[in-house]
Amino acid sequence: MQFKFRKGLDLDMGAGPDGSHAELRSVGLVGLSGQDYPGTTFDLRVAEGDPVKTGQVLCVDRHRSEIRFVAPAAGLVRRITLGARRRLETLVIAVEGNDAQRLDPDPASEDDAALRCLLLESGAWVGIRSRPFGHIPDPGSRPAAIFVTATDTNPLAANPVAVLAPEMALFQRGAEALLRLTDGPVFVCQAPGPPLVVARDRLRIATFDGPHPSGLAGTHIHHLLPVSGQRSVWQIGYQEVAAIGHLLTTGRIMASRTLSVVGPGLTKPALVTAPLGSDLVDLTRNQTQGGAIRLISGPVLSGREAAFLGRYDLQVAVVDRDSPALPFRPLWQRLMDVLQPSPVGATLPLEVFERAFPLDLLPVPLMRSLAVGDVETSERLGCLELLEDDLALLSWLCPSRSDYGALLRRVLNTLAEESAP
Amino acid sequence: MTRRCGHLPALWDAHRVTAVTGVALLAPLALTIFERGAAMMMALGLAVGLAVMWQLVFARLRGRPMGWDGIATALIFVLLLPGAVPLWHQGLALSFGIVMGDQIFGGRGRGFVNPAVVGLAFLLFSFPGVTTGTPGPSVAIAAALGGALLLAVGLMSRRVIAGFGLGIATLMVLLPDPEGWAALQSASLVLGLVFLIGDPVAAACTNAGRWFYGGLAGALVVLLGHSGDGVGALASVVFAALLASIFAPLIDQIVIWANIRRRARRQSHG
Repeated sequence: MQFKFRKGLDLDMGAGPDGSHAELRSVGLVGLSGQDYPGTTFDLRVAEGDPVKTGQVLCVDRHRSEIRFVAPAAGLVRRITLGARRRLETLVIAVEGNDAQRLDPDPASEDDAALRCLLLESGAWVGIRSRPFGHIPDPGSRPAAIFVTATDTNPLAANPVAVLAPEMALFQRGAEALLRLTDGPVFVCQAPGPPLVVARDRLRIATFDGPHPSGLAGTHIHHLLPVSGQRSVWQIGYQEVAAIGHLLTTGRIMASRTLSVVGPGLTKPALVTAPLGSDLVDLTRNQTQGGAIRLISGPVLSGREAAFLGRYDLQVAVVDRDSPALPFRPLWQRLMDVLQPSPVGATLPLEVFERAFPLDLLPVPLMRSLAVGDVETSERLGCLELLEDDLALLSWLCPSRSDYGALLRRVLNTLAEESAP
Repeated sequence: MTRRCGHLPALWDAHRVTAVTGVALLAPLALTIFERGAAMMMALGLAVGLAVMWQLVFARLRGRPMGWDGIATALIFVLLLPGAVPLWHQGLALSFGIVMGDQIFGGRGRGFVNPAVVGLAFLLFSFPGVTTGTPGPSVAIAAALGGALLLAVGLMSRRVIAGFGLGIATLMVLLPDPEGWAALQSASLVLGLVFLIGDPVAAACTNAGRWFYGGLAGALVVLLGHSGDGVGALASVVFAALLASIFAPLIDQIVIWANIRRRARRQSHG
């Protein structure tokens, strides 16, 4: 299946990381952030000062205790911070040694229940998100389809083809394992080019071409199998799939990810391999330039300022706190910088929103209903199909300066509460 | 209120939109001042003063920061104003437009009509016999240039313009105007298209809706012009803009229903 979009917008942010060689960087701290997992409450299984191995369970989902969150590196639990209503904010591990837990992958190669069990035990399950709502899927659920996002159109993102090149066999193995979690198809969504997996019956390849957001899972799902209150699908990143392949082959969890570390605050953009939850300060040590900088986990458009790498993020952006992060803007846009920024205002219904939104949803009515928190209208207009990153481009374009991703999350939380049994 | 997400310099905000609209208005404004001279300066000063005053009053009443978009409204209002209107008529009409067309809804972007349209409609209704002094063709060209600027930066919809062209052309063929196609060179018509009908707040907010809205506005300009003072006359442009923007939410609602039905059908088949 091939999709080609004209709608969308690619931001010119200069050069990304060149080549396919990823440099290995070690970090002193890794952290697990509670806000990476909306809708989850945690039960801790470790205390401050405990030694942990890579792959050891740190905490579980309070309501679905099979879902485990495991340590991405071995070391000592340095700090556990709880936020409002005693929710887990961050759990920090000081990295030390490389003790790793080993699981037995053999039963999982035949038995479907054992495969689920292995994914849950190893923490790989947490890498999957379900739509609607973007929560970690229920351990017993079977989605209508699984979408592997093997393309990335975010500005300065790493090229998935280059990252996957040394791990093609693992990726294939992981994708085939996903087939056993669903009765429906598994779509590998990639950019045009040589196929990343050998397609067979339910394992299908879909190519997506065009400017950002043609590489977002939300765009893929909308065009292949839109979700609703009745139909739920799962999405998973390409590196998570390779990690599942690695787990099934070796029995060890692959806790490192290849990231593109980019931005005008860096001396040189680089492709970096580092553990999940890496401390962003450690990750960019001696690489930054300029004065005050901001470390952003995730793409510049949708990421957030953070201390640790987010669970689903494959990009770290370093931007100057003061000077703008878009070096190649046309003159008229720069001239407007002399004006004072205006406060948050109303949505202005411009045509540019449609031009940057390749989904058959109506952006302005949706943005308006999200802005006023109208849950019912937002649902009718298709907000269940979306997650925060799908609206990042619209937030940037909108003169109202509202964060539609955050507004969407609020509406989704209400809808999730209503639909909970 | 939410904090801005993302970490890029904003492309637009309310002040920038006002500033760019102001730039687009500069050329027609300069030409009109040149044509009309000092009388125009009086009207301009009064209009801008009133607009700023009303925005300040409502910002104070609501305890919200003040916007400057009223200035753009005032400039458009003065540009389209017929020559010999007493100053108190002008002030009353503009005040009515800004308050009833914009501020009572909560400011720009929250209403559904252009305040300058409301003001001009009020003026034409309340004080009949207003002599329509049309600005010259050079103003029409300047307004078209301003429109090109707004199109280029994305503040105006090309679908509205295209729909307007289609609507007006269809009706002109069906109802031939005595003046013929020359009526379309009127400065009121071009100014009205760019700054009144093309205003994104007054227009429909869906792509399909923008075509229909533009077409409706174009058709109304000819229809109203045919039964009134001619296609290019101020009254026909203003009332066409007013009626079209009143119908825009209905058009959008129909587009929304169609979209919801289409997606529901895809859900059940896909």
